[in-house]
Amino acid sequence: MILKQHSARVIIANQWDRFGLPFLLAVLIAVFAGLSESFRTVYNLISNLQFAAMIGIGAIGMAFCIMSGDFDISVGSMSALVGVLGASLVPRFGGVVGVLVTILLATALGFLNGVFVTKLKIPAFITTLGMMYIYRSAAYIYTTNTPVYIKDPFWLFLGNGVVLGVPFAIILMVFCFAVGIYLLRKTPFGRYVVAVGTNKTAARLSGINVDGIKLAVFTMVGLFVGIASVVTAANLGSVNPGMTGQGYEFQLITAVVLGGTALSGGNGNLLGAFFAAMIVTYLKNGLGMKQVNSYWQFVAFGLVLIFAVGVNRLKFTLLGMRET
Amino acid sequence: MIKFLKLYERFGIFLFILVGFVFLSLASPNFLKMDTLLNIIAQGTYAAVVGFGMTLAITSGGFDLSVESVMALASVFLAVFIPRIGIPLAIVIALAAASFVGLLNGLIIAKLKVNPLITTLAMQTIVKGVALLVTGGKMIVIKQKQFMELGTGKTFGIPNQIYIMVLFFIIFYIILYHTSFGRQVSGVGSNETATRISGVNVDLVKIGVYILIAFTAGLTSVIRTSQALIGMPSMAAGFVLVAITVTILGGTSLTGGRGNLWGTLLAALFISMVYYGLNLINLQIFYQMLAVGLVLLIALFIEGLRVRYLQAAKAKGIRV
Amino acid sequence: MKKIRYLILALLIAAVLLPGAAFAQAKTIGFSLWTMEYTFFQAVEKGVRDACKDLGYKYIMLDQNAEPVKMVQDINTLVGQKVSGIVITPVDPGAIGPAVEKARKAGIPVVCADIGKSGPVNALLISNNFKGGEMAMQFIDKTLKAKGIKGKKVGVGPVQPQWTYARQRGEGFKAMAKKLGYTVASELVVNPPDAQGGYDTMQQMMSAVPDLVGVFYCSGREAVGAANAIKAAEKDIIVVGYNGDPEEIQAMRDGIMAADIAQQPYNIGYDSVKLLKDIFAGKKYEDAVVPVDVAFLTPDTIDKFQADYEAKMNR
Repeated sequence: MILKQHSARVIIANQWDRFGLPFLLAVLIAVFAGLSESFRTVYNLISNLQFAAMIGIGAIGMAFCIMSGDFDISVGSMSALVGVLGASLVPRFGGVVGVLVTILLATALGFLNGVFVTKLKIPAFITTLGMMYIYRSAAYIYTTNTPVYIKDPFWLFLGNGVVLGVPFAIILMVFCFAVGIYLLRKTPFGRYVVAVGTNKTAARLSGINVDGIKLAVFTMVGLFVGIASVVTAANLGSVNPGMTGQGYEFQLITAVVLGGTALSGGNGNLLGAFFAAMIVTYLKNGLGMKQVNSYWQFVAFGLVLIFAVGVNRLKFTLLGMRET
Repeated sequence: MIKFLKLYERFGIFLFILVGFVFLSLASPNFLKMDTLLNIIAQGTYAAVVGFGMTLAITSGGFDLSVESVMALASVFLAVFIPRIGIPLAIVIALAAASFVGLLNGLIIAKLKVNPLITTLAMQTIVKGVALLVTGGKMIVIKQKQFMELGTGKTFGIPNQIYIMVLFFIIFYIILYHTSFGRQVSGVGSNETATRISGVNVDLVKIGVYILIAFTAGLTSVIRTSQALIGMPSMAAGFVLVAITVTILGGTSLTGGRGNLWGTLLAALFISMVYYGLNLINLQIFYQMLAVGLVLLIALFIEGLRVRYLQAAKAKGIRV
Repeated sequence: MKKIRYLILALLIAAVLLPGAAFAQAKTIGFSLWTMEYTFFQAVEKGVRDACKDLGYKYIMLDQNAEPVKMVQDINTLVGQKVSGIVITPVDPGAIGPAVEKARKAGIPVVCADIGKSGPVNALLISNNFKGGEMAMQFIDKTLKAKGIKGKKVGVGPVQPQWTYARQRGEGFKAMAKKLGYTVASELVVNPPDAQGGYDTMQQMMSAVPDLVGVFYCSGREAVGAANAIKAAEKDIIVVGYNGDPEEIQAMRDGIMAADIAQQPYNIGYDSVKLLKDIFAGKKYEDAVVPVDVAFLTPDTIDKFQADYEAKMNR
């Protein structure tokens, strides 16, 4: 929360919140553009945005989940399951049905996760851990461990198509973020989510339907994961029951946390997640182009993550807030 | 009902083991052999030893996602140092390296106050990179064959790793339940602020926890590496989930404060039985995953019941 | 004075154009690699790199870090960089379709080096896996007969089912086993796919089939793990591995592994670039599968094999 003091500390902390990540992104792009001729092509910059969308869109749902004080680590396996189910329907029912089924099914699975968490009162981490195993094995069994290919032009367009020179995936990502930010900042729902994440008991006492909010949040996770899965599957031309979504949950959590949302819950930075997704994508791309030894890349990414969260901590301290 | 749930908390996993045991005995003639049973226990020791560390970590309210990379690092150090300074010293160095990573984790979590999820996740990536850099991406073959005795040998007919597992079970049991450190760990897990206010050096406790779990990862790696005699920078992929699963299946509460070491041990044996047994009857990967997932859900469901009933009982004033 | 000025101008123009012209001739090969974490892929990479050096091509390598999404991103990146040809060793061969289409539309030929293919690639170079599996069974048969062992039960540890082409190793083994009158008494996919997985799976196999006489593990590290398990159990089972990695060679030196089918990853990489050269020259390849020979290793042939390998890797 913004304190009504105008000391330097507060100003820095606030400005970082608003401009820190975009600034970092700009610096990153500038550095790599300067170092690598191929990086600074329009083609490359736009192509990266397209890939950032796969993480970005999923991060919206995950951000809401984390803001409400929970996690969902089943998203990777969920992505695989809904992807193979939706894609397998395409030959018989066409691309539109396939896409819709994927998204609806993901939403339903998110809802299911939410039911387990709210009704059975099992901590989200464990529930989604168990569901992760189940979704993944369901995907294997359904496809007998064979990838499902997508050749439908409608579906492929959603990931690869270009509208007026801008890849559709980017338009979709911007739209999703707009919706997400609107929900968060301009609706009671958004306020309730933050309230639940900040202090569940206080929220409940003040009349908020905590269970309902949590249910909605997990459903949102499913919805956005579904959309992201559609885009990813379109870009890859297939869904692989074993490989699709591996590590996806951690990519999403990384983007959300890098974006400035605290893991302990409470107020978060959705726009930050947007920039964080882009930073990660551009960083990977830039390092690759400069032929940086991939082993060093591992080290670099770990350090970036700790740095980013450390900066968040620093910001909280600067604002004089105690850690939640 | 409450009685049942309390019983379940202590012995629930026994039920699963019993069911699985009976099923597999009927399903495969080769199951009830001494060799097979010993192997199942032996194959369960890896998840068990790391599970002990993970139980400690989760009891303290955190967890450690970096165990895979720590295992890889220890494996690599073994391969590099055994030829140079002999097996015993190399093992010491490998364990020290593993513990050092644990120290780093603990410092970052306690002093920099970075969330354990992020810290250990980031450390996982960093240590992986380090292991790869040390070996240049290659696997290093260990030519000193005597090393193999550790993980493959038997003493009095029982595989060595079972002795190691029992030894460390006893050690961790004492630490968790019979030392003030153990009580402090539970305290930090259930209510960190209260524990801090009561004068406990929470930071030191956390650092100790992370060093211990990294140590168990290193130890498991020593056993595993001695079996394959290869120092592998890319070892143990996916292992962290197994470690977390056995801990949770064993009944350790994820909210911290209640560590169930017995449960972890039994859960590790159970999972080993599932994988081994299903392979014996040729029901492979998918079904094994499904089995684990289902068991986890059932365990969670009962855990959920337990929490609700206990809460309701407490609210009514019934002593539990 | 004017003449000198014109001369200088001419020289300047030449200086700008000529290198430009030479530059325009130099083709660039973009190589997208699964990962640098395993010796097999390091050898493929060296092969591609050396071929580019030998043929005068510029060389760019992008590491997929075993992530299918990064793989697709990297291919797109290479297309954006307008490389002349692309070699891919894909972590997920089923996911390259759209990216390969983009490349082909841009006039860039694409060759897959090992693993598999999908989409409009020009060619896939891969070891003759089926034959390799057959060779493994034939060796086991020969050895058993030489030793006078009558047992007919063999086991196979195939790779995970999604590796369509590598699966062929197990298939070749099983087909030859059937032909020679053996029973494949145990077929357990090794999980996790590394040495520990091989060790554990072999123990399970020995439990399930106590009178096993021979096994074939379709992947190097797994075979080494299996060999160690057999040694630990003090049983006498013939082990044959697949891949040709340094770990297997060491196992053969130690006498725990009887034979090994060695792939030639360096050749796979090298020949991929050579194939691109042919395509540049006008030869037509479309969705072709080009088998690359495998080598059969026994303890007496490993020295030469290893010497060859070191020579290539240390060029």
